[in-house]
Amino acid sequence: MPRVANQLCANHPQRSAFAVCMTCKKAICQECATQWDGIYHCASCLTAQRKAVVHRSPLLGSVAVLVLSLILLFAGAHLMVRTGALIAGLF
Amino acid sequence: MLDETADVVRIAAAPWAGVLILTSLPWLFLQVLFFNRLLELGDEATHYGNALLSTAYAVCFAFILAILGRAIYARACRFAAATGTTPGKEAFRVPPVALSSYFFTATLVELLFMIMTLTFAGIPLAIMVGGLAIGTMELNDRAGIRPPLRLIVRYARNARLLSALFFIFTLAFGIAWINLIAAFSAGLWLASAFGGLEVAQWSVLLSPSNRLFVLLTAAGAAAVIEPFWIAANVILVRKAGTEESGEELKLWFRELQAEKAR
Repeated sequence: MPRVANQLCANHPQRSAFAVCMTCKKAICQECATQWDGIYHCASCLTAQRKAVVHRSPLLGSVAVLVLSLILLFAGAHLMVRTGALIAGLF
Repeated sequence: MLDETADVVRIAAAPWAGVLILTSLPWLFLQVLFFNRLLELGDEATHYGNALLSTAYAVCFAFILAILGRAIYARACRFAAATGTTPGKEAFRVPPVALSSYFFTATLVELLFMIMTLTFAGIPLAIMVGGLAIGTMELNDRAGIRPPLRLIVRYARNARLLSALFFIFTLAFGIAWINLIAAFSAGLWLASAFGGLEVAQWSVLLSPSNRLFVLLTAAGAAAVIEPFWIAANVILVRKAGTEESGEELKLWFRELQAEKAR
């Protein structure tokens, strides 16, 4: 974690810094810092990340992942038969 | 961690472990059917590819149902661990992103398992990765191929804990399996000794020399162990996440102290 001692909050200059935003590297106070997935972010970076996620269309992504999973499952059925036949031959 | 797992299972068991077992049983039984056919065919199995493939498709279809049940149960476990109370209908509301991510990772793990079966030594690895896949399911907030895999790799750093869990659950599976076989034998003995029933035919069917019975009891043991295994993986990921942020705080505190000392 970057050092924050003796630094002031980028948004509230009267407050001492509590953490450093891992995206923009700005020193931020306790009110401005949000811990997400174990990492501190400032409000603006967090908003930007959220928007980026929304733009990616989670529905399309989910459908793509589902289709890929179904293909894998289909391949899995064939692999199951081939592997099984190989192993059954050993016994 | 095992104590916490037992607590979570106790809280979430009714009705969520029931949902898990009900959705897993078709998959387990179809797997038994598949393996029984394979062992019956032996060397000839390669000549019955189409017949085996139809059962394999049924196994894969039942796997989708099992995945859904696991996802619901894992969500119920997470709620139970967080609140200490039995979760309500909210356990059914698995986020679509988390569900699709788990569907992908679980299918990939199954594929890995099938490939690893040939090596035998790779089976534990596939089982451990499978545990992490269900444990990290709800941490997925972005649909994609890489994010769920990245999460699994991140939590796979707890290799010692994962290996210990695998060892404990392998042992538990063996004990559950032996207990199930013993329970059937005891039941038969009681029926014959006190009920005066003719059990000669049943003794042949429910004996360890009957391959189908052995496979079915193995499926039963897996169904008994599964709720604990999923809960343990959910707790493992939850604890690892907390420790991660706790470590960061400790480091930060140490740095602050060092700054102050200067």
